[in-house]
Amino acid sequence: MEPQERHYNIDKLNVLFAVSSLGLLAVLGWMVADDYSRSWKDVQKKFRTLEIEKTRVKFDTTENLLEQTPEYQELVAELEQARSEYAANCAPKESVKAEVKNLTAQNGLLVQEQKFISAKLDASRYLYENALKNNARDADSRRAEFNALSQKLDELDLAVAQSNQALDEKTKGVEVCGARLKELERQEHNFSNKAQILHRKLVNIDPDKMSFTSRIADMVRDLPILDLANPKYKINQIVLKDITEDVNFMTVPKVDRCITCHLGIDNPDFEHADQPFTTHPDLNNFLGRESPHPMEEFGCSVCHGGRGRGTDFNSAAHTPSSPEQAKAWEEKYHWHQLHHWEKPMLPIQYTEASCFKCHSGQTEVKKADKLNLGLHVIEKAGCYNCHEIEKFKGWPKPGPDLTKVASKISKNWAYRWISDPHGFRLDTWMPSFFFQSNTSDPQSRARNEQEIHAIAEYLFKKSQEYDKSAPPMAGDPVRGEELVASVGCLACHQTSPLAASQMVTADSLRREHGPNLTGVGTKISEKWIYNWLKDPKRYHPATRMPNLRLIDQEAADIAAFLGTLKNEDFNATPIPDVSETVMDEIVFNFLAKSKTNAQAEEALGAMNLEEKLLFAGEKLIRHYGCFSCHDISGFESDKPIGTAMTEEGDKSTHRLDFGFVNIEHMNYAWFTQKLKDPRIFDQGRVKAHDEKLRMPNFHFTDEEIEAVVTALLGFVRDVPEAKVVPRDARNIDIESGQKLVRQMNCKGCHILEGEGGSIRPSVAEWLIKYDNRSDTEAQAIVNSFSPPNLVGEGKKVQAQWLFEFIHAPETIRPWLKVRMPTYNFASEQLNILLKYFSALDGQDFPFEEKVDVSLTEQEYKAAQALFSPEYFDCVKCHIVGNKLPDGSPENWAPNFALAKRRLKPDWIVEWIKNPQNLLPGTKMPNYFDPQAFEASGPDDILNGDEHEQIRVLRNFLLTLSEQPPLAERNAEPQPAAASSSAEENPQLTPIEGLN
Amino acid sequence: MTLETIKEFVNIIFAPEIILPLILLVFFVIFPPTDRLYKLNKMLRIDKLWTKEGGIAIFAILIVFFLFGLTDPNFKLIVTKPDNVPIVGLIFLVVFFLWFAMKQAVENDQRIGEGKKPAEDADSKEKVLVWPDLVYIEFIALILCTVLLIAWSILLKAPLEEPANPAVSPNPSKAPWYFLGLQEMLVYFDPWIAGVLFPTIIIIGMMAIPYLDHNEKGRGYFSFNERKMAISVFMFFWLVLWVFLIMVGTFLRGPNWNFFGPFEFWDVNKLEALTNVNLSEIVYMIWLKQQLPANILLRELPGFLVIIGYFGLMPLILAKTLFKRLFDQLGSLRYSIFTILLLMAVSLPIKMLLRWAFNIKYIVAIPEFFFNI
Repeated sequence: MEPQERHYNIDKLNVLFAVSSLGLLAVLGWMVADDYSRSWKDVQKKFRTLEIEKTRVKFDTTENLLEQTPEYQELVAELEQARSEYAANCAPKESVKAEVKNLTAQNGLLVQEQKFISAKLDASRYLYENALKNNARDADSRRAEFNALSQKLDELDLAVAQSNQALDEKTKGVEVCGARLKELERQEHNFSNKAQILHRKLVNIDPDKMSFTSRIADMVRDLPILDLANPKYKINQIVLKDITEDVNFMTVPKVDRCITCHLGIDNPDFEHADQPFTTHPDLNNFLGRESPHPMEEFGCSVCHGGRGRGTDFNSAAHTPSSPEQAKAWEEKYHWHQLHHWEKPMLPIQYTEASCFKCHSGQTEVKKADKLNLGLHVIEKAGCYNCHEIEKFKGWPKPGPDLTKVASKISKNWAYRWISDPHGFRLDTWMPSFFFQSNTSDPQSRARNEQEIHAIAEYLFKKSQEYDKSAPPMAGDPVRGEELVASVGCLACHQTSPLAASQMVTADSLRREHGPNLTGVGTKISEKWIYNWLKDPKRYHPATRMPNLRLIDQEAADIAAFLGTLKNEDFNATPIPDVSETVMDEIVFNFLAKSKTNAQAEEALGAMNLEEKLLFAGEKLIRHYGCFSCHDISGFESDKPIGTAMTEEGDKSTHRLDFGFVNIEHMNYAWFTQKLKDPRIFDQGRVKAHDEKLRMPNFHFTDEEIEAVVTALLGFVRDVPEAKVVPRDARNIDIESGQKLVRQMNCKGCHILEGEGGSIRPSVAEWLIKYDNRSDTEAQAIVNSFSPPNLVGEGKKVQAQWLFEFIHAPETIRPWLKVRMPTYNFASEQLNILLKYFSALDGQDFPFEEKVDVSLTEQEYKAAQALFSPEYFDCVKCHIVGNKLPDGSPENWAPNFALAKRRLKPDWIVEWIKNPQNLLPGTKMPNYFDPQAFEASGPDDILNGDEHEQIRVLRNFLLTLSEQPPLAERNAEPQPAAASSSAEENPQLTPIEGLN
Repeated sequence: MTLETIKEFVNIIFAPEIILPLILLVFFVIFPPTDRLYKLNKMLRIDKLWTKEGGIAIFAILIVFFLFGLTDPNFKLIVTKPDNVPIVGLIFLVVFFLWFAMKQAVENDQRIGEGKKPAEDADSKEKVLVWPDLVYIEFIALILCTVLLIAWSILLKAPLEEPANPAVSPNPSKAPWYFLGLQEMLVYFDPWIAGVLFPTIIIIGMMAIPYLDHNEKGRGYFSFNERKMAISVFMFFWLVLWVFLIMVGTFLRGPNWNFFGPFEFWDVNKLEALTNVNLSEIVYMIWLKQQLPANILLRELPGFLVIIGYFGLMPLILAKTLFKRLFDQLGSLRYSIFTILLLMAVSLPIKMLLRWAFNIKYIVAIPEFFFNI
């Protein structure tokens, strides 16, 4: 066979080779193009255009503004003139110019040689030293070399100095002559600084303003491969070393590349730009360099969720906030859910969930209203009683004690209430357990009816004795109504139904801290109410209802009034009879769980109807978990029946049973649906009665659901430890205090941390109805008649006094109708409150600096003078001992006699100096001008030294006192301490120093 | 017949208790190991498959099936998953090369039948040079493969999933495609068999092939007739026990390792009644209506008998009947090794059949000692 013979046709192979090589080239090109084209680049291009546009506009307006400023115009004219003057007089002559040029050239040469010789000298020094060390033979020649170079360098230094001097002399004249021009130029520069910064920016980004070379560079730097150096369009990222992502076998720093597209996020100029360039809302709180959450330290995805490393719309795991948005995104971005990312972005309406990660200890998180509302609703609805939630560990049960229920309500009322609580009171937190979507078929309804009978039977059978004494006198409902309106009941209770349309807010929740009293007369007797009001803790030892120290007549009046609030319709709803057949079925089902059928039949046969009811009642209370929210005899040690929720936000979607309900498969959608109708996921399922879902229906509104879902999404395990609110003593004190403040509804009356005082509208109503004030007047003076704003309380009052006061309140503001109730706090709770107030104001606790309050004779006189009507006229408003001021009560101010025990000396100083600073809007006048403090006091007292004036005035106030001393007072029983006139406070005596 | 009924029909066909017997039946007709089956094959004109027309028909059916299937959302979802696309390619490649080899084998059989030499005979006389005849076409093939891989990687993104989490295993958890056969075996056998014994036997068995097969014919050229048994056995291992199980693992095993038809929605909530029983329970409780004996050996006696019968008596019976000629050809030692290996291989489809058709869990079940067969 000939060697040149080929098996294949080589020409054809060559063609095939050429074609496939071209194919390879083409796919390589395709690969580079595919790699080069990134969606974020288009976004950045768009942003650049927008930025150029915005900068141009900004530049133009600044320039226009400059041109319209006459000072600037003058300056420019002057500058123009100075320039021509300079050209005429100072500009150097041609001969001088040539000379300078020559000199400069010579100077350059000399400096260069100096540098060279200096380098040589260093090298020669090394050689010389080395030779010395090794005793080398050439040491001498090295030394000679070194010395010669040394000498040469000295000569050169001299020559350079001379040359510099010569050059200076030649140019000096010009410089002096041009000094004025330079100064003017500097002024002009300062004037147009802003415009110039903008101009520089424009030159950088705007191709029209660029130099030719820049424009070329601008084009070239983004070409494929060349873009490795310094491209215009590049991925921006924030690397967060102290926030890590758990990738199961290791943790990696969080990297957020969101700012690759969200380019205007921290730039207030882009507030109205379209997404993705829109500025983040509220830069003062988020992202801003000065904000508590700077972008460089917090990034984006720690709050928003999503895939921080993603650089296109889908890989960032964006989540739409509504089906409409999802649709729009699908069209615009081909959006789809990123299934494999476990923490997709939170839909925008739930973003506040993330606040909880770091602020979980706080009762209310500033700026996170929705989260706050959600937590508040969880707390009111008592979710944590069935579902363990770490945050609410140890919170009280929200429902009333049922261990003495028979003395309070009738069995029929109980039946009606359990079967439909919302029928009695629209806004009750008691949820509906029965006749729900999975128990609405006739068979289930019949069974539900009997279940309620059994539960009611159990509660009443197990009910304990409660002695009710009849009111010693008849009550007057009219007086009762006035009392309810005035003493402070309305801080926690309402007596009329809330409008169904009313949005639930923190304020409305505070105003309904206790049950709405609509129809309460139908539910309970006046006698019971009387006994309850006199001592709530006798009926329910753990109740949060405080004692308002009502005298018998007041209690009887209020009871009489509440007895008139009826809801007859509710009492008219029919109650089905007890059906033994259905009851048998229920009892049998429970029996059969632990017995064989035959044993169960036998046990059932041995029971009479009453026993069956009692047996079923106990089992049903356990089944439905009634004991979670109510104290019920026999269930003292039962455990919560629901799923633990502490990490519910982390629960992966596939562990939620969506059943046959066609909703989006996302946890928030499931939560929402569950809260809307807790039994919905039974839809289409075939289940035995006792297997059915049993979570009750709270009839939440859509806002409440959204808020609760927000909170649930915040219950996660994975929190950025480094960013959590520090667990130091101060924060813990504040958080414990906030918890107690919430539980006792302090904010129902008082303003704390800038929020609360929800009783104010009720006080205004009282003013209008019972104090004959006009609408506007009532609004104007409502603050004077409302419980005080407690801002700065820790700074203001002495800890010991506050302890005594909360323990047993005394009258500070006799003109107030509203009473500070007696809560019977345990000392532990009192300490929490005290620490809370101290921590809020950064005070030392429990001991504070001693202050010397002694006065010399002269100082005492000066203080008296300041106190007198000639100067500050303090007694015009302030009560002193039992001496009330003239004028109407809305202008009265607290009793000075309390100052010594109550107020902190340092606070008094600050208060007198600038009361508005401590309590904005206070009626206390500013006697010293905070703007010009040193000149604002009276000049004729203490040589016009304002600091001294305030000090003596403070010391003077602290000498005013009352009798008898504290200890004795507390030993006495408290007769209606809050009554309105000072005559009833005989313990206050005229004070020394005034008369 | 509407589209839906076709799909339902296909789903039914692909139910394991039907597809497996069906494949076994068809397989031995298409690749007949014995003369009798070979005659049946010829009679049914199945060798027509290995012609140009036959090849076109096979591919046409495959393509039509896939095109039809792609109109179904469930089918499309599974088949177009970036992980599964190569397996679809594998179906076409396997079928093509199968057809390509068989076509030449059948043609050669015909030539040999006519007393001619096989087509490869001419090739053996020709000499070609490494360059350019070999290296050049290899180089071109290399370039074309690179083009294909680059284009593929651009068009289909690598399927990345969430970070591996030991606490959350994906459902279904699947082995890499080449191990799906082993994973499928784990459904029917305990790990010590499916994961240790069988793989070892497979390797030893493959090492034994050159010593077992001393058929001089069919070397250096394609031929079916001259190596019926060898090819049939190989194809059984390769197509049924390897490729088919990969297909099953990829396309038919869904969430919870449940079996799904090609057009069935992969419902995570699908429940199958797992009511499998052991052989001992069938024998004692169902047939003899007795309580299970307390003694383990007595209890598992039927199972042991079956195993002993299968591996002890079967080779003897086969030597006298079906494999009579083979026994003569191989001699007793080679024959024993060959049949034991073959019986082991066949035990897998047998166990599968028993499981799917009769719900048999174990032949011998001694969970007390973790010894289950």
